[in-house]
Amino acid sequence: MPQLTDLLFYAFAGLTLLFGFLCVANPLSRNPVTSAMFLVLTIISMAGLFVLLHAFFLAAVQILVYAGAVMVLFLFVIMLLDLKEEERRKLNAIAVGLGSVAVLGLAGVLLRALIQAKPVIAAGTQPVEGSTKELGRILFQSYLLPFEILSILLLVAMVGVILLSKKELK
Amino acid sequence: MNSSLIVVEILVALLGLGVLLADLWMPATHRRRLGWIAAGGLAVIFFVGMKDAAEVAYAFGAPGAKTGMYVQDSLGVFFKQFFLLAGILVLIMSVEYSGRFATGVSEYFSLTLFALLGMLFAAGTNDFTLMFAALELITITFVVLVSFQRDRASSIEAGVKYLILGATASAFMVFGIALVFGSAGTTNFNEIAAAQKTLASNPIFLVGLVFVLAGLSFKIAAVPFQVWAPDVYQGSPAPTTAFLAVGSKAAGIVLLLRVLYAAVPTITAQWHVLFVVIAALTILYGSLCAIPQRSVKRLMGYSSIANAGFLLLGVAALSKAGAAAMIYYIAGYLFTVLAAFTVLSVVLAQTESDDISTFNGLGQRSPMLAAVLTLSMASLAGVPPLAGFVGKFLLLKSVVPMAATHPIYLGLLAAAVVGVVISIYYYFGIIRAMYWGGKAGASEPLQTSWPIKGALLVCVVGMLWLGILPDTLVQISTPAVEVLKPELPVKVAVAP
Repeated sequence: MPQLTDLLFYAFAGLTLLFGFLCVANPLSRNPVTSAMFLVLTIISMAGLFVLLHAFFLAAVQILVYAGAVMVLFLFVIMLLDLKEEERRKLNAIAVGLGSVAVLGLAGVLLRALIQAKPVIAAGTQPVEGSTKELGRILFQSYLLPFEILSILLLVAMVGVILLSKKELK
Repeated sequence: MNSSLIVVEILVALLGLGVLLADLWMPATHRRRLGWIAAGGLAVIFFVGMKDAAEVAYAFGAPGAKTGMYVQDSLGVFFKQFFLLAGILVLIMSVEYSGRFATGVSEYFSLTLFALLGMLFAAGTNDFTLMFAALELITITFVVLVSFQRDRASSIEAGVKYLILGATASAFMVFGIALVFGSAGTTNFNEIAAAQKTLASNPIFLVGLVFVLAGLSFKIAAVPFQVWAPDVYQGSPAPTTAFLAVGSKAAGIVLLLRVLYAAVPTITAQWHVLFVVIAALTILYGSLCAIPQRSVKRLMGYSSIANAGFLLLGVAALSKAGAAAMIYYIAGYLFTVLAAFTVLSVVLAQTESDDISTFNGLGQRSPMLAAVLTLSMASLAGVPPLAGFVGKFLLLKSVVPMAATHPIYLGLLAAAVVGVVISIYYYFGIIRAMYWGGKAGASEPLQTSWPIKGALLVCVVGMLWLGILPDTLVQISTPAVEVLKPELPVKVAVAP
């Protein structure tokens, strides 16, 4: 008898995949705004997965930051650039063939690994509760160095964006 | 927590931030001086800040853990010196080239320092999380550096290609790290090494490892993740291309060494056929595609692919000798490629195209530059007594003992020899253009400043030193790889 959490997991995982597919390859609409909206739904389904993992803070941040702030920026950019519906491009048969071979190969390898794998819980790993306190402790003790490197990465990204998008070249 | 181990990294980060801030008060005409300041600062760090690692020390572990994310050992120190030297030479080069930038000269210096910072962290990586953070810092910084000449369409094109392909490679890598973490319960290299006997039979772990290796192969431009290299090398500003060819590739190499030989040596030994095939294909692809090239930077892109293949010979050798030969080769590659790109920056700072014919008559125009470029091309082709020759010799020598264990190694040796022979043809095409290429478009000699002359002198001395006195570096490279623990494949008994 599957538990409710299992059912919820499959529901959220399936929805994430479905919305993700509709975001990049929607057969009905080529409108960028529709794609952006499906991205919101993908992110919300992923937040559901985080909740099932007891990572409540991450789930909230996922919705607040990604579904909220980042998506508003996306929509601003789409509207400022006034993107029209994308035309359907002619697909290159060779590229499609090679691409599907690569995708099917990867999917095959992953599926085979999943089928062969036995569920193991590595010894010595404690289940982590996703409270803010716990997360903060992990972030600023065990993972302090990558955290600080990423802060420099954000600075670099900011400098880069300003340089590459500045209007006048003087 | 022992954060005193990352003093060098902190100093480089402060230098980068300082250059970024100093730009505010520096009048526009004097901004090139910031490049000299940055290069000088790195030189001070190089000569004063580097200490020998007497023993292996860890930092930034979880509370109570014996190991940590960051490791300081002889291998890390070797690569840190390598990256600092590369950073100094690239900064000198970019000061010379900065006249071509429409805007953001001081940001270019600062971003170069931040890319260098990522490489320094890569040298001391002992954890998949730190590896990902360091690689992302390198990749994102290079996206900006590659598309820096945004008044040129080719530079923007190169930037977009690098961004998209780099992001795909990063996505694969982070997915792989997630699978590794999920199956091993840790991302620390020492802890994974301790558990690898059981992990070797866990398919999820193996798939994760394959994805991580795919991400690293992208960094060193190995087949089948090499497609980006020629376009990006051609479109980028010359100093960026140089740093990409030397620094980014070496960061990939040091991470590859650490993942394969410090974290999962048993699995590496099981997969030796895979590394043999990738090395052979990479050598042949790079060499064959380089033949028809007319653009010098594009040629260097294919040459960089071929050299990634030669470096992978050391991985296929599955021995400490192979790893030591790899770091010998990459040290020679540093001097050789930076010499070539310093000359390229001086020549290309004047003209728009980088066709081989641009170098026509360089032998008469600037005999000194032509002589340096000749030396570096000869070294890349593997002509004795230069660094490239000894490097290739050591790599091949490390593979030879394996030929007795598996016939596929004979194919690898054959591919390497074919690659060397082909490379002589395309490298000497540039030499031929310089001396026998006919009339030059411009005949006045090129001006070179004294720092450029100094950088060229360092590179030439390095090439000759590694070529004539190989023992001096072998004595450094052999102990440097002592921290790695390569294993030989277990012979599987075949039932008759």
